[in-house]
Amino acid sequence: MANGESPEGPVRRVPHTSVSRILAHSIRLFHPKREIQHPVMFTVYVMFWFLLVVTLFPQAFPDIDRSYSASYYLAITLILFLTLWFSHLSEAIAEAQGKAQADALREVRSGIRARQVLADGKRIWVGAELLRVGDTLEVVPGEVIPLDGDVILGAAQIDESMMTGESALVTREMGGDKTSVLGGTHVVQGTVQIRVTAIRGQSFLDRLIRLVEAANREKTPNELALDTILAAFTIALLIVVLTFLLLIASFSYVAIDVGTVIALYVCLIPTTIGALLPAIGISGINRVAKANVIAKSGKAVEAAGDLDVLILDKTGTITVGNRLAVQFIAAPDISEKELLTSALFASSLDVTPEGRSIVRLAARRGAPNLSLAEGSYRVIPFTAERRTSGITMTDGREIYKGAVKAIEAYAGALPPSLAEAADSAAREGMTPLAVAENKRIMGLVILKDVIKPGITDRLRELRMMGIRTVMCTGDNRLTALAIGRESGVDEVEAEAKPETKLAIIEREKAQGRMVAMSGDGSNDAPALAKADVGLAMNSGTGAAKEAGNMVDLDNDPTKLIEIISIGKQLLITRGALTTFSVTNDVAKYFAIIPALFVTANGGFLAGVAALNIMGLSDPHLAVLAAVLFNALIIPILIPLALYGVRFRPRSAIDLLRQNVLFYGLGGLVSAFAGIWLCYAALNWLGRQGWWQTVITGINHSLPLMIQFGGHL
Amino acid sequence: MVEVSAVTEVLLFFALLLGVAIPFGSYMGRVYTNRPMLGDRFLVPVERWLYRLLGVNPRDAMGYREYSIAFLLSSAMIAVWTFLILTFQASLFPGPVPFTAMTWETNIHTTVSFLTATDFTHFAPEVNMTQWGNLLGLEVPMFLAPAAALSVTAAFVRGFIRHDGRLGNFYVDMIRTTTRIIIPLSILGAIVLLLLSVPASYPALPWAGPGVHTPGFPGPVAAMQSIVYVGSNGGGWTSANAASALANPSIWTQYMGMGLFLLLPFAFPFAFATMVRRPGEAWPYLGAVLITFAVGLILFISFEGVASQAAAGYRFGLVPDSTFQFASVYSNTGANNLQIAYVSPIPQMTLLFGMFTQATPGSDGVGFGTLLVFALLAVFMGGLMVGRTPEYLGKHINVTTMRWTALVLLYHPAMVLIPTAIAYLGGFVPPAVAFGSFPGCASATCMNSHAFTTVLYEFASESANNGSSMSTFNDATPFFNLMGAAVILVGRFLPMLAMLRIGSEFSKSQPIPPGPGTLQTSSLTFMLYLTVLLIIVSALLFLPVIALGPLAQLGG
Repeated sequence: MANGESPEGPVRRVPHTSVSRILAHSIRLFHPKREIQHPVMFTVYVMFWFLLVVTLFPQAFPDIDRSYSASYYLAITLILFLTLWFSHLSEAIAEAQGKAQADALREVRSGIRARQVLADGKRIWVGAELLRVGDTLEVVPGEVIPLDGDVILGAAQIDESMMTGESALVTREMGGDKTSVLGGTHVVQGTVQIRVTAIRGQSFLDRLIRLVEAANREKTPNELALDTILAAFTIALLIVVLTFLLLIASFSYVAIDVGTVIALYVCLIPTTIGALLPAIGISGINRVAKANVIAKSGKAVEAAGDLDVLILDKTGTITVGNRLAVQFIAAPDISEKELLTSALFASSLDVTPEGRSIVRLAARRGAPNLSLAEGSYRVIPFTAERRTSGITMTDGREIYKGAVKAIEAYAGALPPSLAEAADSAAREGMTPLAVAENKRIMGLVILKDVIKPGITDRLRELRMMGIRTVMCTGDNRLTALAIGRESGVDEVEAEAKPETKLAIIEREKAQGRMVAMSGDGSNDAPALAKADVGLAMNSGTGAAKEAGNMVDLDNDPTKLIEIISIGKQLLITRGALTTFSVTNDVAKYFAIIPALFVTANGGFLAGVAALNIMGLSDPHLAVLAAVLFNALIIPILIPLALYGVRFRPRSAIDLLRQNVLFYGLGGLVSAFAGIWLCYAALNWLGRQGWWQTVITGINHSLPLMIQFGGHL
Repeated sequence: MVEVSAVTEVLLFFALLLGVAIPFGSYMGRVYTNRPMLGDRFLVPVERWLYRLLGVNPRDAMGYREYSIAFLLSSAMIAVWTFLILTFQASLFPGPVPFTAMTWETNIHTTVSFLTATDFTHFAPEVNMTQWGNLLGLEVPMFLAPAAALSVTAAFVRGFIRHDGRLGNFYVDMIRTTTRIIIPLSILGAIVLLLLSVPASYPALPWAGPGVHTPGFPGPVAAMQSIVYVGSNGGGWTSANAASALANPSIWTQYMGMGLFLLLPFAFPFAFATMVRRPGEAWPYLGAVLITFAVGLILFISFEGVASQAAAGYRFGLVPDSTFQFASVYSNTGANNLQIAYVSPIPQMTLLFGMFTQATPGSDGVGFGTLLVFALLAVFMGGLMVGRTPEYLGKHINVTTMRWTALVLLYHPAMVLIPTAIAYLGGFVPPAVAFGSFPGCASATCMNSHAFTTVLYEFASESANNGSSMSTFNDATPFFNLMGAAVILVGRFLPMLAMLRIGSEFSKSQPIPPGPGTLQTSSLTFMLYLTVLLIIVSALLFLPVIALGPLAQLGG
């Protein structure tokens, strides 16, 4: 690649989930290799082919001949095809949703070139696919960052909206915790040099793409357990239906109706949940991805539903992150104006949000305008050891503000009235800062943590779901407790050190609880790795992202709450549809069993007719209605599978009651109503002249065609 | 018609039964957790002596494998013992009793049947058994088989309270079950039956004729009948069993018998709750059992009430006799006091249903074990519906647990339906019984649905280790003997080994502390969910053959 050749600009096309692509995919899923992955539906698949052969070549099965009706068999065969196809459709739609997201990201990256910085400082253009881990790149404003990496030189404003949907620019700079950049994002301002941390195909983004594509999705433990139960039921029902068929076959008074028996089998096995199970799993991951979180496995999403304890950072999660000045308290011998002036001086060059809020409050309280001449002062920055910051001026004034203890060390003890005010402020969760000028206590500035709007409600929801929240903060115990009380967390861990989170996680896990936390710093990595659900912030260090099992692209620690809901919703959807599937079956029995026996000679099996509580007079139509309903319920439930059942946080027993009533009873009632409606529709159709012509046509022409085929 | 006073009596009986079962259950729970209790002063030295004799260290807790092997080996030894006595009883115990030896396959069937507390009889004790054959050959397994079932179920439950992957010591469980539960109850039962004038004599004098005893010397009937009931065994001194005036002379002996065979099944939920130290957990099980039981019994009585009752042999009235028969089948005891073959079709269907669930309340121990397995399915589906990885009593339900759970719930239809189909397709049901012409079916190859019900009932009874039968034709044929023995063996050992496997899986997992997000199983909602699931799952699997049998009879 010649030096200076310009890269192709990134092309962004709106991804489309075309209907034809979904249809094509749903047909491709008829491949036996795909079918056999879902044992329940695979048996339907086998029955479909068998019935197709029976329908087309009835003379090969002498016993079947007597009850054979070409149109009836053809109808059941078609409905079985529909059942399978609807199942594929749900899977195809779920996969297409995931693919759409993947494609959008992939298109951003197609044909990306990179400007590599060679060891001798030369820059050359290369294709991004040729780069290796450890290579250095340079990215200038207007270019796309080709691969994941760490900033090793410079700082830049980066647009990550194509990855995160967040339109605000983020800053990435060398050193510290904000070095990590994502391939596919866009540099808006500032030139940076980047060391590649993941090559093409292995980058963070690629992992996301592969995951949402769901092609090689592993089944989660809960999914495997459910699969086991469903497969076992299917085997048992296969035995039930086969023995039933054999028993009927050994008595001459009932004509064996293979079509009806297969219809019975397909109705009885849990096709509804079996058909929708793949789609439910895929859409769970899609929903997480839609929340801009990359889960490294489906297992992590399910684990989120199981959480018992949530460890939350105070700053940035529960509070807006900055304490703001709310009050000035002057020392007894100091006027408020003097305090305001001192505080203003001490903070005027302090760019921290706390400092700015002091300036704002002082101005509002009527502090005089300050003008600091260039060179007339020296700023003393804040350090963790000293815990104060301040300013010294050439006129000899020296003003400090900082933690009460630190200021006391500098200027002597606070007067009793101030000490009391400081204590009571701290008890209420506020942070008293002391201000001293030339070793004289001027007064206090009270800073207050501001609770994030809405966080109290979300904490209450968590409590309703049975999840205990632990707030971690470096603040002293009094301050921490006050914030804890105000926000409604269950437990407060004050004066926390970086290793405190790890200790909490180990303590809770030892008692068998499932713990989640979020974090972004390198020192969070061990805790993120140890937690059952570790949500790393995308802005965090590579180590943190590597350690967590989920990464939030929006850098919002409260996202954990959303993920918990998604995890629960995923499990609830599976459970609810399984219950629905089971109770649905009850009605089908009442439609099909009488139909099997009405075909007997005369009224011999009148007792069985007592089961015909829906009063379906035509046995063939009754069977068709049941198996048709069995097929149609699948597309009806596809939206539920894709978007999940509605989940509102409440206690487990309430959830159970509500879901059992809704899906259990709903399954029972809807099946009776649905089968009855299908029957009425088929009955109406059967009375139409044109339809009768079609049926007669099929019944006449199919055997003829088959005969003709036989002659060939 | 239904008599009000009889209904009151039955309700009073159940109130009394629960009044005894609840404290007795918690006593059983203490037996299985080795807590100090009444009788320790006398029994502990006896038990210690037995442990020493057997070379058992009572502190050695066994894992799944060791426990299963100990259980299987003991069962094999009992089987050999019983089979040898049955085979050689005529030469071992020569006596004045007229005796007809059984074929070797009938001996196998009988051995297996008594080894498993099934007591399905393909013979008539008054013709085919000697007195000592009865006492040594059949009564030994009558004590040990229920003791083993209770032990295995207790070990299953221990999975919830142990966290080391182990289940306890089989020999300790066996010995303590026998000394603390089975023997005291059977002695008490025998004394009460004796006082209620069930005869007991030694020696038994020769029969005066088929089914007719020598007055005054009928044999040790009271003692045998007591363990017949206590161990959910069935069987009996005569083939008429509880239908005869000998074993069941009055309505009081009938209520006593019913109390004896319902006590352990109704007590086990409370033993369970005591073992896991959560008193509330017994109620969903009791509720599920009572609801299913009550619905079935009401159906039974109301359909029998409108049918002709002459042939079935009601001796003390419709309500008490129906209740006894129904309870005997539902507790998998199988002691008949009616001719089930002459009971009308819908009541036959309700009896079949009890054998399909095997858990309402089911036999001593295993009935509760099966119900617990049903509960695991309910917890699994219900747990998903509250959005958590399902857990029960603080133990996660994983793929392995579900695999064995599925096996326990679904082997049963296979064991009932496949042999039934083979019996018909292979022509093992006598054609004269199987077929005939019926109104609406002119051909001579129409199915006799009553005979079909009989065959279905036979295999359902054997797979459920129940023992009651309709016996409308001679089933002491090689096919029914050997196929029956195989079905009984699978029906006993497969679910029990699976329960031990599930128990060890729970025992391996570390406990999860309960929280508000945990599904509360001691709740009305869960109880109803369990009940409905239990009924639907059992009905779904068996309705087609129910249609071929009892329902088809309605039309014929």
